[in-house]
Amino acid sequence: MSVLLDVLRRHFPEFLSGFFVTFRVVAISLAIAISVGTLVGALRVAPLRALRWIGTTYVEAFRNVPLLVLIFISFLGLRRAGIGIGPWVAGTASLGLYTAAYVAEAIRSGVFAVGKGQIDASLSLGLTYRRTMTKIILPQAARTVIPPLGNLLIAMIKNSAIIGASILALPDLLKQARILQARTFQTNETFFWAAAGYLVLTLSATFVVRRLERRLAIRR
Amino acid sequence: MATEPQDGRLVELEGVRKSFGPHVVLDSIDLSIRRGEAVVVAGPSGSGKSTLLRCINGLEAIDAGDIRFEGQSIPKAGKGIYRLRAEMGMVFQSFNLFPHKTVLDNVTLGPIEVKGLSRLDAQTRARALLERVGIPEKADAVPADLSGGQQQRVAIARALAMEPKLMLFDEPTSALDPEMIREVLDVMRDLARDGMTMIVVTHEMGFAREVCDRLLFIDAGAIVEDAPPEEFFRGAKSERAREFVDKIIHH
Repeated sequence: MSVLLDVLRRHFPEFLSGFFVTFRVVAISLAIAISVGTLVGALRVAPLRALRWIGTTYVEAFRNVPLLVLIFISFLGLRRAGIGIGPWVAGTASLGLYTAAYVAEAIRSGVFAVGKGQIDASLSLGLTYRRTMTKIILPQAARTVIPPLGNLLIAMIKNSAIIGASILALPDLLKQARILQARTFQTNETFFWAAAGYLVLTLSATFVVRRLERRLAIRR
Repeated sequence: MATEPQDGRLVELEGVRKSFGPHVVLDSIDLSIRRGEAVVVAGPSGSGKSTLLRCINGLEAIDAGDIRFEGQSIPKAGKGIYRLRAEMGMVFQSFNLFPHKTVLDNVTLGPIEVKGLSRLDAQTRARALLERVGIPEKADAVPADLSGGQQQRVAIARALAMEPKLMLFDEPTSALDPEMIREVLDVMRDLARDGMTMIVVTHEMGFAREVCDRLLFIDAGAIVEDAPPEEFFRGAKSERAREFVDKIIHH
């Protein structure tokens, strides 16, 4: 027990800096995932076939390629093609765009979960299709979609470790733990604290999502 | 401005056809409804009653024929359809109140978003309407807190807030417990007495007999009876309608 605490105390700065790198990766990727995901989700339910097709193509492309392969393509592949992007951009873009495909699907199911009667009622008052979407359907869909988005956020926090373990070598929580492990050979202790760091992030995410859910829940 | 027919016809249907796939739901319907008339539409389920209402306010596009409101054809799409819908209120079997909004916000939404009323004016109007349907104290409740009968009365207030020229009721009491049916029908009866033009799809034949000017009986997408309610109940012309009357009265 004392060895465990000792490792944390001695290497706290390294762990902390890794923790914040992971936090930043997650924050940036989340912003990408939510904005792109909402846009693609809207395309998936658009009244025009061509728009729906674009949305479907996006989802199938990014959902069916392993995240690690996306990282290789964005970092190495694009570089070969003459578009050099740094590890931060490659990592957060890969993780964000990958998760966006799942966000889009969650939003699509949220829109479908809002009854057709809601559209009828809104249109019958004379609201346009667009206003019906923004005033009636999306506000309800967003509330329905909070729990699945919470799941995606947790999955994304854990997936972010792939960035640290891959060729991108961003000094995130996992990468810092690996450096410390190689330096100290205190394998179990360093990875225990890395795991604890991820736990702090995922539990905080769970807490925030639950609160959001309670605040915005619709009683039916 | 479209010219209105001289004899006060508010809604006219001419050869209206509507199919869902191979299934013909409305088969060349001709109908005209005058201002101030209360018309009940009855018929077996699946006979096209609801579709008829939904075509009149453009929620369903018709395949052939013409529907005119105040002499003006209902456009298939575009801005015109939205403007026409704002002139007709619709009340649904399943209420369809907006669950994420309070009762007051449900009733003010249309006037604010579509008619551009100020929030204050819309709320004054909404409170007066909630008074009229008998639930002024529920203004700040959310739909989930209301009984079915109260929700339906809010839905009526929401439609009336747009000051419609025509009210469409699509089986407004079919989802209600028996003790709540009365309170909704009372509101509708008062509306009819105040001269509101209305088309009511319902199985409530007591309401039809007491309130409506005309009773339409629809079967397999066609109007098979169109008569004052007394005449309809005393001696319907068609076999199908007589069977229906028998079932309703001797059930």
